[in-house]
Amino acid sequence: MRTVLLASMRRHTRRYVAASLAVVIGVTFIIVTNALSSAARDGLTSGLDAPFAHADVVVSGIDGPDAARLLDRAEKEGASASVLGWAWLSVSRDGTEITDGADVGALPRDNAMRWQELVDGRFPSTDHEAVVDANAAKANDVGIGDTLTIGTGKQALDVKVVGSVDSPSSMVWSAVYLTQDAQDRWLDQSMINSVAWNGAGSADEQIRALESAYPDATVQTTDDFVADQQKAATNGVDVIAFILLLFAAIAIGTSVMVIANTFSILFAQRTRDFALLRCVGATRRQVLRSIRLEALALGVVSALVGLVAGAGLGLGLVALIRDLAPSARLGEASFSPVWFAGAFLVGTAVTVMASWLPTRRVTRVSPLAALRPDTGVDVRTTAGRLRIGFGILVVAAGVLAMAAAIAGAAVPLMVVGGGTTFFGVVLLGPTIVPALIRVAGSLTARVMGPPGRLATSNAVRNPRRTAATTASLLVGVTLTTAVLTGLASGRSIIDDEMATDHPLDATVSATTGAGLAPEVLTGVRDLPAVESAVEVPGTVGTLDRGIGRMRVVAPGPDAAGLMRSTPDFAAPRAGEIYLPIDALENGNVPRTVTVTVGERTETLRVNAGEDWGNVAVVAPQTLAGLDAAPSTQAIWVRADLDTDAEDFSGDLSAVAAASDADVVSTLGKWAFVDLQLDVMTGAIVGLLGIAVVIALIGIANTLGLSVLERGRENALLRALGLTRRQLRATLATEAVLLSVVATLLGTTLGIGFAWVGVQTMLAKYVENASMTLPLGQLAIVVLVSAAAGLLACVLPARRAARVTPAAGLTME
Amino acid sequence: MIETTAPNALRTAATARGLTKTYGVGTHAEVHALRGVDLDLPAGRFTAIMGPSGSGKSTLMHCLAGLDQPTPGTVEVAGVTLESLDDTALTKFRRDHVGFVFQSFNLLPMLTAGQNILLPLELAGRKVGREERARFEMVVDVLGLADRTGHLPSQLSGGQQQRVAIARALVAQPAIVFADEPTGNLDSTASAEVLDFLRHSVRELGQTVVMVTHELDAAAYADDVLVIADGAIRTHLTTPTRDELVAALRHRAA
Repeated sequence: MRTVLLASMRRHTRRYVAASLAVVIGVTFIIVTNALSSAARDGLTSGLDAPFAHADVVVSGIDGPDAARLLDRAEKEGASASVLGWAWLSVSRDGTEITDGADVGALPRDNAMRWQELVDGRFPSTDHEAVVDANAAKANDVGIGDTLTIGTGKQALDVKVVGSVDSPSSMVWSAVYLTQDAQDRWLDQSMINSVAWNGAGSADEQIRALESAYPDATVQTTDDFVADQQKAATNGVDVIAFILLLFAAIAIGTSVMVIANTFSILFAQRTRDFALLRCVGATRRQVLRSIRLEALALGVVSALVGLVAGAGLGLGLVALIRDLAPSARLGEASFSPVWFAGAFLVGTAVTVMASWLPTRRVTRVSPLAALRPDTGVDVRTTAGRLRIGFGILVVAAGVLAMAAAIAGAAVPLMVVGGGTTFFGVVLLGPTIVPALIRVAGSLTARVMGPPGRLATSNAVRNPRRTAATTASLLVGVTLTTAVLTGLASGRSIIDDEMATDHPLDATVSATTGAGLAPEVLTGVRDLPAVESAVEVPGTVGTLDRGIGRMRVVAPGPDAAGLMRSTPDFAAPRAGEIYLPIDALENGNVPRTVTVTVGERTETLRVNAGEDWGNVAVVAPQTLAGLDAAPSTQAIWVRADLDTDAEDFSGDLSAVAAASDADVVSTLGKWAFVDLQLDVMTGAIVGLLGIAVVIALIGIANTLGLSVLERGRENALLRALGLTRRQLRATLATEAVLLSVVATLLGTTLGIGFAWVGVQTMLAKYVENASMTLPLGQLAIVVLVSAAAGLLACVLPARRAARVTPAAGLTME
Repeated sequence: MIETTAPNALRTAATARGLTKTYGVGTHAEVHALRGVDLDLPAGRFTAIMGPSGSGKSTLMHCLAGLDQPTPGTVEVAGVTLESLDDTALTKFRRDHVGFVFQSFNLLPMLTAGQNILLPLELAGRKVGREERARFEMVVDVLGLADRTGHLPSQLSGGQQQRVAIARALVAQPAIVFADEPTGNLDSTASAEVLDFLRHSVRELGQTVVMVTHELDAAAYADDVLVIADGAIRTHLTTPTRDELVAALRHRAA
């Protein structure tokens, strides 16, 4: 049998290319995941100990005020303490906001504990100097000598950048480092990772002393704490690696379908060979062994190629990311033998498994089949009634499970139900898919003429093969559509929430002088991004509770009209005042505040909030009581949300500069949310794309093998007068029919699954969770798969058209 | 459209001059399937090309039908020189002027008999109008397929399949019909039936039919018989008797 095995492998190598490619891609995916996760782990864990190099103990699990008390205690005891924490603050330069949120941390008071590594310039010598993280500075184009304004309102601080540093630790790095004394003002509102402590006495004594002083805090030796941090960082990477492997599993699942389909087509074409072998004396076992060995060899070779390709691609990708995005903090990629062995085993096992069913079917062939006259490969198979009935049952069970999942908001049940439904649809594929192709084909026949008709007949002549070919594409398209639709629905819900939280897109508020000049309003209205802008009347008042002079404005009904939701501050009740949270000392909200304008005073109930600028908001009648002749103190703006947030802030600031006014815009917050959703959508679609690529290789493969199988038929058609171009068109139409029908079916399923997902997962957070169809994106999915279908037929069509009719007719 | 005038024996349907076909390159690898064949095929007659396997008869037919290009040599069919045509033009020429009947794989398995018969018209983009419909009905009727047009090829017997193929070759009224071993896969009864129909289409419908065969019985139906061996024409017989044929083939073998 060995001669037969080797000969047949030599002969059929080319036909195995696609199946092998599917395995290679799956294995490559796993190895690239290994490279990326090892690089991420290396980047995240290296340098974690740097901030604690000179500390005996570490206090964690504390908040800002605790950290402040620890600093005081250190001062008293003569110990060294370094706070590893940061405040989330806006940073601007020359009145233009660079970012509405950056981590602002501190350099330790004790220079010995300093863990940042100077890249350029020097460390600060006064509280009005700062250093910036070199990567963050590069990304935001901040250089030494720049003056940055940190924070807004009363606590805003101007600092001069005197140096740039590397931050070796991924867990506690900040974009800007102030002196500890300068950062103190935001310490209360800072996120505190830990405080590194270096006091007198042994570590145990220090731990005991600190534990008794802070019973709620965690006090550990430096080594223990660093070990914990490393574990936390690694866990994060493990989660990401797990998610990547999930996508790898989807890609490999698709590969299984492609490989199984390839084998069943190849074996169907070789039925006569097998039967002939049986005739000349091979036992069923020998034939079975021979073709299983063939599959095993294919799996081993493909898995090995995948390992090499994955290692190369992984190293390249890590190098590329490190070069392009240093802030991603990737370290060195390292490969583990466990991953290699795992990927190799998966690749091999998947191939052998996928060949199992087709090989069983093939060896049922009786030796007599070889003695029958050559009727060509009999490709007519139909779905049995049993299969249809079973398929319907499975779909019904899946739908029931999903209905139960919606009722109980049970996500695991939803996943099971979705999977079951999908499996049922795949089972019904041999019935559904050809029917859909016939419908679609009647359209193409009208447009394309004979090639369209022939393509439809070819596409449906072997229902099981057609269904198997489309099933692999169905997986990718269904998941892609479900994710796109689900995220679009989630986005609309998030947008609603954003509209509630940030109703006002932008404000221009007077800071000095009597009020805003009229040209500011015309200037604002002339900006292309501004949809509408209204003047808000107000006056200059003096507020107690340590607030001082502040503009007091009263929005009218027109102001409420341009907001994205109806917040309380849009129409304050009489006797109420809304104060910006930044203006309040330490963020404490007093119960009442007294406003004085000239002779008149009002004592008002206080509400605090943000996003309307550094002004106080009151009801019109309250304003009337304070000032008989109010002037324009603010302009409230509604803008086009698709505008670039930074450009918009810049334009608005330029207009406002004439009147020395302050600009606050929430567009950046919208953009930030949008960016996160876009990145998530892109990442998921990109990862699912790999499964789609494998499926398309499968379609190309099926077409290629069918072309080989139909060599005589195609030659006959050419003899009868089908031109080369028409033959190519026939194959192209067949490919597009297959891919488009799979895509449409997948889109329908995906939208259905997305609806179930929205109802199950989001309905408990929002009432009337509705679904948003990203029609543009879905149209792109259909177009891309049609184009990919065309691409898939290029090679097979060329091969088919190249054969001369005479050669085709004499083909074996 | 039945031609009622007697077929004009002086008209030629196809002409070949210096037809040569060589496969492979190099003095030892070269195989000469045809060695300079000169040939005139009269219109309105049933011509059989005979010869043993490997004699070059199939290659000759492929070249005459524009399915294959001769290495040197010219072929003229229905007044058109085939060398001057590119692939697309050649294909269009075939579907307008040439009909085919093959030994096997004659019909497309996914189309019904009727669809198979009308396929050449459809490929040529011709509307099936009243005239074409009448021709279709007539051909189907003559070939005894009237109640079989809705069947798939797999539901037809071998003889019926071959009759469908003949109907398809005739329906577009081609200038010439080539039949490549049309009885090769049939039993003697079905063979006789198919050959009868081919002769019938020549006598009654005025078609020109060229048949390649290696069977004496089949050749006996023909008006003219060309015997080919080693890539060259050895004998040209007109309405030969069986004995004459046997003698011609013997002579070749000797």
